[in-house]
Amino acid sequence: MELILQSIINGLIQGGFFALFAVGLVLIFGVMGVVNFAHGELVMVGAYTVWLLHAQNGIPFIPVILIAIILVTVIGLLMERFLFRPTCNDPLAGLICSIGILFILQVLATVVGGDGPSKQVPPPYQGTLILFDFLRVPYQRVFSFFVSAAGLGTLWYFLTRTKLGWALRAVALDREASALQGININRISMIAIGVGGALAGLAGALMAPLTNINPHMGHNVIITAFIVTIVGGVGSLSGAVIAAVIYALFHTFITVYFGGVIATICGLLLMVVVLIIKPTGIMGVRVSE
Amino acid sequence: MKIIIRLLKIIAVIIFLAGLIVLPHYLKFHYQDLLIFLTVNVLVVASYRIVTLTGEWSLIHAVMMGVGAYTAALLFKNFNLAIWFTLPLAGGMAGLIAALLSFPLFRMTQFYFLIGSFAAGEAIRLTWMQFIVPFGGSGGLSGIEPPMIGSIDFMDPIPYYYLALGVVSACLFILYRIEKSRIGLTLHAVHWKAPLAQSVGVDTWRYRALAFIIGSFFVGIAGALKIHYLGTITPNQFGIGFMVFILIWVIVGGYNTIFGPVIGVVVLTIFDESVRGFGELRPAIYGGVLIISILFLPLGLESIYTKFLTLCGIGGNSSDGPPP
Amino acid sequence: MSILEVRKLTKQFGGLTALADISFQVKEGEIHGLIGPNGAGKSTLFKNIAGFYTPTKGEIIYQGKKIAGKPPHVIAKMGIVRTFQETTLFQEMTVFENVLVGCFAKSRINLFSSILGLDKQLQKIAREKVLEVLEFIGLSNRKNQLASELPLGSQRALAISIALASEPKLMLMDEPFAGMNMEETKHMMDLTRKVQESGITIVLVEHDMKAVMGLCHFLTVLNFGHLLAEGTPEEIRHNEQVIEAYLGGAK
Repeated sequence: MELILQSIINGLIQGGFFALFAVGLVLIFGVMGVVNFAHGELVMVGAYTVWLLHAQNGIPFIPVILIAIILVTVIGLLMERFLFRPTCNDPLAGLICSIGILFILQVLATVVGGDGPSKQVPPPYQGTLILFDFLRVPYQRVFSFFVSAAGLGTLWYFLTRTKLGWALRAVALDREASALQGININRISMIAIGVGGALAGLAGALMAPLTNINPHMGHNVIITAFIVTIVGGVGSLSGAVIAAVIYALFHTFITVYFGGVIATICGLLLMVVVLIIKPTGIMGVRVSE
Repeated sequence: MKIIIRLLKIIAVIIFLAGLIVLPHYLKFHYQDLLIFLTVNVLVVASYRIVTLTGEWSLIHAVMMGVGAYTAALLFKNFNLAIWFTLPLAGGMAGLIAALLSFPLFRMTQFYFLIGSFAAGEAIRLTWMQFIVPFGGSGGLSGIEPPMIGSIDFMDPIPYYYLALGVVSACLFILYRIEKSRIGLTLHAVHWKAPLAQSVGVDTWRYRALAFIIGSFFVGIAGALKIHYLGTITPNQFGIGFMVFILIWVIVGGYNTIFGPVIGVVVLTIFDESVRGFGELRPAIYGGVLIISILFLPLGLESIYTKFLTLCGIGGNSSDGPPP
Repeated sequence: MSILEVRKLTKQFGGLTALADISFQVKEGEIHGLIGPNGAGKSTLFKNIAGFYTPTKGEIIYQGKKIAGKPPHVIAKMGIVRTFQETTLFQEMTVFENVLVGCFAKSRINLFSSILGLDKQLQKIAREKVLEVLEFIGLSNRKNQLASELPLGSQRALAISIALASEPKLMLMDEPFAGMNMEETKHMMDLTRKVQESGITIVLVEHDMKAVMGLCHFLTVLNFGHLLAEGTPEEIRHNEQVIEAYLGGAK
C-alpha cells in the first residue's frame, strides 16, 4: 500500500516532466511538421546548465533555471532560423538536420563536462515533506511538481486565452489555410520552437537534481516523448499532457515491480498497439486524407 | 563516340574490380579491418535503399541487422553451424521478423511509420538487453568465430575480406536486378503516387511489405557477416546511433540511384578516418557535415556526378527506372 | 444492362452526411455524367465506388457483385479504374514507364522470376501493350519524355493511358476537363468518346456543362448529398429543380 501510494506520487512528478518535453515536441511537429530528434538534447542542455552554474559555480537555483530556459530557447530559435526554415519543404531534411544538432550538442556536453561518470546535482531544497508516516516526498520533488504544473498552466493560458496562442493552434491545424488568412508562418514557427525550447529547458533544469546527468541522457527523453506523443495523439497538446501522466504512472509501476528496461519495452509495445488500434492517439483527430 | 564511352566504362569497371581485389595487400592491418566493415556497410546501405524505394523511411534497419547478427551468433554458439549456413539463415530470420512486423507497421505511413518502426526496433533491442539467456544481456555474446577451410584461416583479414566482397557483390547484384525489374518499377510508382498506383490495381501494402522484407533479409546477411569477423555482439552495436549513421550515409550520398548510398558510405568512411585525430569531437564534425550537406547538397554526392555528366554533354536520363 | 448499380448509398463523416440514400444505375457501354453544384458529393461518391472510402450504409453492385468496402486495388483488379481530379501522374518517370506501371499493376509479384529475368515474355507483352495504348491515345511521339514535362492536355491524356493499360471495364473520370482551354477540351472530348467506343463504360464527374451535355448519354444530378434528378441531357436541361439548384448556387 505504501509502495503504491509512493509510486503514484512519484509517477505524478515524472508525469510533469514528461508533459513538459512532450508538449514541446508536439508543438514543434504540429506547427512546422518537423520531428525534432534533438529535443532530448535540449533537455540535456537544460540539465547541464544547472550542473555547471549551480552545482559547480554556486549560482542560486532559481536564476539558473531562468538562464537554462533562455539558453535552450535561443538554441531552439537558431535551429528554426538556420535549419528548419530553409528546409521547410522537406520534412525529412528537417529531421536529419535535427540529428546533426543532436550530435553537436552531445559533443558540446562532453567538452563542457568531461567524459567521466554521470554527474549529480545535490538538491537545492533539502528535507522531506511528511504527509503521513508512510508517505514522504522530498521538498525538491514537491518544488519540481509545482513548477512544472505552473509551466503547463502558463502554456495552457497562452494557447487558449491569447491571440498569439490562437494563431499558433490555427497553424498547427492547417498550415496553408492559416498562411492564406494572413498569419505570418515564420513568426509562428519561431514562437512554437521558442515555447518548445523553453519547456525543454525548464524540464531539464527541474530534472537536474533528480537524475543522472550525462551527454546521452537525451536518448531516454526522446523515447519517452515519442511514446507520450503517439499515445496522446500527434498534434494534440491536451492529449500529450494526459498521456504523459498516464505513461509516467504506468512506467513507474512497472519499474517498481519488474525493472526499468521491462518498463520501457512495455511502453514501446503500448505505443505500437496504440498505433495499430487508433493511429490518431487517445485524443487525436484525423487531420486530413 | 558512344562506343568509345562504352568501352571506357567497361575498362573503368575492370580497373575498379581489380583495384578492389588487390587493395587489401597494400593496407596496414587496421585499414584491412576497416575495409571489411566498409564492405559490410555497403550492403547495409544498399539494402536500406530498397526499403526507402517505397518512400517510407524506417528506423528499424539497424535492429534488423542485429536480428541477423544475433541469429548467426546463436546458431554458431549453440549448434556450431558454419558461416555458410548462418548467413542465409540470418537473412531468413530478419526477413521473417520483418514479415511479421509488416502487419502492424504498414498500417501506418510517413511520420507514424517512422516512429512505429523506431518503437518496434527499440523493443527488440531492449529484449536482447533484458534477457541474459540466450542473448547475453547488455554484455552480449562473444567467441563467434569465422570459418576455416583447409589451411585458409578466415580469421585473417585478407581471406575474410574476399569472402565478404564475394557475398556483398552477389547481394548487390540481386538488389540491382530487383530494382530494375517490374517489381522495382512498381516500388517507384508506390513511392511517387500511392493512390494512383492503387487505383490501377497495385496492392500498395504488399509492395511496401515486400520491400521491407527484402531489405531486412539482406541487412540480416550483412549483420551475420559483420559478427563472424568481429567475434563479439552487443545490443548497443545496433542502436539508434548506428541507425543514424545509416541515414547519414544514405542522405549524404543521395538516394536517387543505388550508387548514391554506396558513394556516401565510402566517402564518409574515408572522411571519418581522416578526422580520427579529433577524438571525441568526431560526432560533432559528423553532425556539421550532415547539416551542411542537407542545406547545400540536398540531392547528395551522387548529384555532383550527374551534374558533371550533364556538363560534359554525356547527360543521359537521371531517372532510374528500367530502360524502355 | 447495367454494369454498375448504387443502392441507397449513405456516407457520413462524423455527424456530417456527405451522401444520403443515393441510388442510380449505369448502363454498360454508355458515358454516364454525374453533375451538381460544388459540395454536392460527387467526388465523395466516386471515392466510395473506387474503394477509397467505405460507405456508411448501402450497397454498390458491379457486374452482379457487391464491392462496397473492398480496398481500391481489389476493385481496380475487378475492372473499375478511376482517374484523379488533379493531374496525378508518376511525375519523375517517363511517359512510357507511367503506362508500364499500369500494365504491371495486376500481374502477380514473382520475386525469383524478376531476379533471374525469367519474365521476358511478360515484359515483351507489356511493352507492346504500352506502345499500343500510347498509339491509341496519340502520345507515341512523347514516350521518352518525363511526365512532369508534358503540357496539361497531354498529362490528362497520359492519366487516361495509365488507366487504359490496366484494362478496365469501367472508368471513373474525375473532372477531366478542369482548367482546359477550348481546344484542349475538344481534343479531350474526342478522346473520351474514343475510349467509350472501344467498349469501356465511363462515369464522368464534370463542371463543364458544354462538355457534359455533348458527351453523356445519361445524367445523374446531385445536390447537397441528395439525388436531385436523372435523365437524358435533354431532360435535365429542362428540369426545373436542376435549374433552380444551379441558379440558387450561383446567387
